[in-house]
Amino acid sequence: MEITVKESAPKKKWWRWGVNRWIVLGLIILGFIGTQYFAPVRPFIQLPAEHWINHPLFTLPFIGEFYFTNTLLALLIVDVLVILLAFFFNQAVKKGSLVLKGISGAVEALLEYLYNMTEGTAGKWAKTIFPWFATITLLVLIANWMELIPGVDSIGVIEKAETSGYSVQTVAGIQTIANPPVADGGFTLVPFVRVVSTDLNFTVALAIIAVIAVQVVGVRAQGIRYFSKFWNVKTFFKKPIFGVIDWGVGLLELVSEFSKVLSFAFRLFGNIFAGSVLLFVMGALLGRLAIFPSIFYMLEFLVGAIQAVVFGLLTMTFMAQATQGHAEHEEAHS
Amino acid sequence: MTGDIIIAAKLIGAGLAMIGAIGAGAGIGIVTSGAVQAMGRNPDATSTIQTNMILGIAFAEAVAIYCLVVALLILFVVG
Repeated sequence: MEITVKESAPKKKWWRWGVNRWIVLGLIILGFIGTQYFAPVRPFIQLPAEHWINHPLFTLPFIGEFYFTNTLLALLIVDVLVILLAFFFNQAVKKGSLVLKGISGAVEALLEYLYNMTEGTAGKWAKTIFPWFATITLLVLIANWMELIPGVDSIGVIEKAETSGYSVQTVAGIQTIANPPVADGGFTLVPFVRVVSTDLNFTVALAIIAVIAVQVVGVRAQGIRYFSKFWNVKTFFKKPIFGVIDWGVGLLELVSEFSKVLSFAFRLFGNIFAGSVLLFVMGALLGRLAIFPSIFYMLEFLVGAIQAVVFGLLTMTFMAQATQGHAEHEEAHS
Repeated sequence: MTGDIIIAAKLIGAGLAMIGAIGAGAGIGIVTSGAVQAMGRNPDATSTIQTNMILGIAFAEAVAIYCLVVALLILFVVG
């Protein structure tokens, strides 16, 4: 192995001096020149996802109308990406080489990091909990990083604005919205694809799935005794005063189970929505300086990764807590 | 005129809602300071401490995120 490295080293020297950095520098200069002529537009920020088709696909009782939104399209793209990743990873593992290369090596490193974390926290239940952890983390990670792809959130249909919009201009055969804002009767851009984590429907759904899975893992580990955490009457008659307190604490646990859904959903949604708004606004404010928005891209890269790991990590920790009995815990204390 | 006052009130309200981020900032600072000290004293326990630190930061940050969501709701949904 040493010899091959030495042989390939002189060949690579010329390349190592850097091609990629010149490409990056060229893109920065291109962006600088481009924004002098076509300044970025301050975006119209909207909380609910935009509809692709104006009539609902189908209507469910109690839940309501089901639209095909641009965030749903983003979720489908994320699903395809995760399946492709799994496929290539499977192919690479089947080849039998011990050291994986490229993207599958990165996936292996991520999964190993996640598995070690699970084993450290959950112990013998790691094999049950790890699939949830890894699935949620991979899905949310790819969904968050989609925000960094140019064209997501910025390529779409130009529609008539409701209140105030922008004028339309044609650049090199492509219609875009341009900078002088129009007070009424302007146009806005409805993107084809919008990052799925900026839709509350996705984050709430994922949070509900995570919390229900926590209960399932708890029941699998402890059987029906798991629910004594919520309706704790074991010490009710033995120690009258503290028994009542224990029972009240159990009810609070039930409330905290619901607040978990809320905090899961709003944490992911708030971070990523605020991140994408930050990217839009900084792009519009500092667009002419070209290099500054890329710093915020770096920040969003980190935030996306951290939020994905935190979502999975919290699910994993709650599951690990659910596998440990409440009763044994108490006995260990006293 | 009344519309302007409503818009001004919305902007002020969104700004006031974000005051809650102070607490989260202080909390995250305290959590990280404690974790870094612990890692300095016992480098072997770094992985355990790191996991717990990230958990603590996530819980502290949740409050700030609620503030942010309230601010965003005031700005883009209400009225």
